[in-house]
Amino acid sequence: MNYPVWYVPTFGGGLLIALVAIVHVFVSHFAVGGGLYLVMAERKAIREQDQSIMAFVKKHTKFFLLLTMVFGGLTGVAIWFIISLIHPAATSLLIHTFVFGWAAEWVFFLVEIVALFVYFYTFGRMDDRTHQAIGWVYFGAAWMSLFLINGIIDFMLTPGTWLANHDFWAGFFNPTFWPSLFFRSFMSFMLAGCYGFLTATFLEDDQARHKMIRYSGIWALISLALSVPTGWWYISVLPDKARGLVGGASPTIARAATVAAFSLAALAAVVITLILLNPKKARTKVMTVIVMIAAMGYMGSFEWTREAARRPYVINEVMYSNGILQKDVERINQEGFLKNAKWVQNKEVTDANQLEAGRELFLHQCFACHTVGGFNNDIIGRTKNMNYGAMQKYLATIHEKRYFMPPFVGNEIEMKALAAYLTAGLNKKPLTDDAAAGNRGKGLFEVNCAACHGAEILKPEIAGWSKEKIRTALDKLPALNPAMPDYSAPVADKDAVADYLHSLNNPGSTASAKELGATLFEDNCVPCHGFDVLKPKVSGWSKTKIRTALDKLSALNPAMPDYAGSATEKDALADYIVKQAGGAK
Amino acid sequence: MNPASLIPTADALTAHWGWFQFLLMLTFPLHLLAMNAMLGTALTAFICHLRPERPYQDLSHELAKALPFLVAFTINLGVAPLLFVNVLYGHLLYTSTVLMGLFWLAVIPILIIAYYLAYAYDFSFKKMGYSAMYAVLIVLLLLMSVGFIFSNNMTMMISPASWPRWFATPGGTLLNLADPTLLIRYLHMMTGSLAVGGLCVAFYSSTVLKHNIAVAEAGKTLGMQLFTWLTALQVLLGTWFLMTLPTAVMKRFMGNDMLATGLLMAGIFLAVATLMLGFQRKVIATLWLTIPLVYVMSFMRDSVRTGYLAPYFDMTKVPANMQWSPLIFFLVVLVMGIVVVVWMLSKLRYIKKVS
Repeated sequence: MNYPVWYVPTFGGGLLIALVAIVHVFVSHFAVGGGLYLVMAERKAIREQDQSIMAFVKKHTKFFLLLTMVFGGLTGVAIWFIISLIHPAATSLLIHTFVFGWAAEWVFFLVEIVALFVYFYTFGRMDDRTHQAIGWVYFGAAWMSLFLINGIIDFMLTPGTWLANHDFWAGFFNPTFWPSLFFRSFMSFMLAGCYGFLTATFLEDDQARHKMIRYSGIWALISLALSVPTGWWYISVLPDKARGLVGGASPTIARAATVAAFSLAALAAVVITLILLNPKKARTKVMTVIVMIAAMGYMGSFEWTREAARRPYVINEVMYSNGILQKDVERINQEGFLKNAKWVQNKEVTDANQLEAGRELFLHQCFACHTVGGFNNDIIGRTKNMNYGAMQKYLATIHEKRYFMPPFVGNEIEMKALAAYLTAGLNKKPLTDDAAAGNRGKGLFEVNCAACHGAEILKPEIAGWSKEKIRTALDKLPALNPAMPDYSAPVADKDAVADYLHSLNNPGSTASAKELGATLFEDNCVPCHGFDVLKPKVSGWSKTKIRTALDKLSALNPAMPDYAGSATEKDALADYIVKQAGGAK
Repeated sequence: MNPASLIPTADALTAHWGWFQFLLMLTFPLHLLAMNAMLGTALTAFICHLRPERPYQDLSHELAKALPFLVAFTINLGVAPLLFVNVLYGHLLYTSTVLMGLFWLAVIPILIIAYYLAYAYDFSFKKMGYSAMYAVLIVLLLLMSVGFIFSNNMTMMISPASWPRWFATPGGTLLNLADPTLLIRYLHMMTGSLAVGGLCVAFYSSTVLKHNIAVAEAGKTLGMQLFTWLTALQVLLGTWFLMTLPTAVMKRFMGNDMLATGLLMAGIFLAVATLMLGFQRKVIATLWLTIPLVYVMSFMRDSVRTGYLAPYFDMTKVPANMQWSPLIFFLVVLVMGIVVVVWMLSKLRYIKKVS
């Protein structure tokens, strides 16, 4: 809201950040672990007086120089460029908070460059002791870069006591700092071992090749083994909500975890095979490429998980993914978002500009994570099953229902404008306030009553009331409670509301049984999956099976929240699903 | 629409603004010097390919070896000032960055290609044969295009009046081409860079390459010719640039702001002095005066920015919550880093020469 948005509907910013970040993560960790690998391998060559190993180390250094200094250095700059484009507000906050951390990192970057140049260009031209010392300087500087960036990245996930005191060191040495530092260090050593594998297979000297493959394998295996408990330590210090997401409440993390598990297993298996078994057949280029891919899969899933565990924030508990500060939400809800946003043309929602204002709200609140008809997290596909009324309700509790989505920030009229844009604007749906198509009573209730009391509150109050009693009460609401204003509406509207309220406690009594199921489905299921997704999955299921599944949705898929509806509601929902899916009775 | 209403709120600083301004003005000229040497080296190497004489061929090979180092240090030394610009002007810079997002991101692939090509030019110089000339020309053009993208961002961030274009074109495809100062400013920058770059080549030739007298002489001659003629041209371009500036900004250098006026005077004096020394081929003396000249030019550039932003933004008004320990930490790391770098470079004196 403070900044303009780079609008590339097909790609979306998130995907671009992910692409650049993942590439950089591999190379930058390799730059750290590889530093240690080079010095240790050189030491091995010196101790064993082995010229073929020394020649290998020199060749590996050239590859290392070209990969880490050019590609690693520039993709690091690229991350900075792209985050300032996609998350300018968050970048500004991080830069301002940690400027001297970044500045110190720049010094280590400079030392790294000089050390690597000197190390590479003086191979065989400098005494061993000094050359080794230069190598150690390189590794030290590279590891210090990791140390510094680690503090800042982990701050984004767990700001810790910085939230209260805004102290640099409190933010830097945050709760995940140490486990993450160890984990990343072992990861970087593991990657170095895997890269070592790759380059070693190109060695022509048989003896040297086997020696270096064995050496690299032990490197990778030990680092891999040590990375697992530190990864566990990392997860154990996460705050509850983030751990909940890591534990499966986030669908994207669930996918990443599967990739990680398979990669880890494949990596361990192939590495052990390479080192121990059948040296002639197993130690091939294809096998080392599998190792690389598995190592990257393992590391990539970790990074993906870390990013996703922060949602809905870009800086946990401070700033949402869309750049809105958590502390501003209440104020903006009162004053209105558009009035507070700098980069909008519609400062107020009117009948004439509703869709256009909704588009601006979308741009500033949703586009940070959603593309429009694009590759990743397409908003059109995600919202196609929701109508205007359901969308409004969804937006009102979006963060409560799905923790990883940021709350809608703004006043009620703005929320309607966004709902209008998402349904009528993007999905060409009619702009009627009926919550579920065909259930006018529910829609009218949402509009006229729900601001003070939702159906959940009202339901026990009117338990046992006949429809007529409810209908009569609607004619004279202040008699029930002097704080309630009269409901002045046409008779037909009042009838519809009475029908709806009666159906809350008597789902089977009116034609609304089907409507109730439809409404419940729209409210609770459609935000994640419509029938197009569900139908093939439940096709052939009996009503009993569906009804049982509704009791424990998280058992079906850990990303699904359990459904908290009453038994009657679950019955109605199961009825509706079985009918729609054409399943067996 | 009032463009001032679009300016994002600046975040609070974590030290007095003077620290960031000091660090910015300290490190930016270092980046310029490395960048100048990089562009000058590429241009000289290209010119050498056009000359059939043996010393020029050898010189281009020597320059090819130096080019990847210069690219590396230009990038590294660019990180520090860009960081401090982020701190002082981040809210303006990020805005213009979003407006020209596509071009801004293009800097990265352009640099990666140029950097790898520079390495190919170095490592495969002989193998490339005749095509080496085109390789270094492409490197030069790519690196100069990065400068053009930077010129656009640096001018757009100080011109909020150009920002409302985002509402019609939000895809990151805007440049600041309508700004009458843009092209002349870019030309001024590039001419100055290539001039100083020529001087750097002359310095490199007459020191590091002095063991090969013919090559050293070729480098010195070519480098100093580039320096003197481009600096002479620069006097004209500089005046033209000054004239295209908005009146309020221009008048800062004409007596309205004593510091800016003093800087202009010092700049003119140093430019004339370096020209005189340059025509006499006094490389070291010219370099000693050019370093302060680059600093003076950077300060003038900063004054232009302050002038442009006067109606919109005053960095001295940004709130600051001072915390000393991170600043001290950085300064300690900086000193230690410099010591380690000097130690490593000192070890180069003892390396064995290889044929």
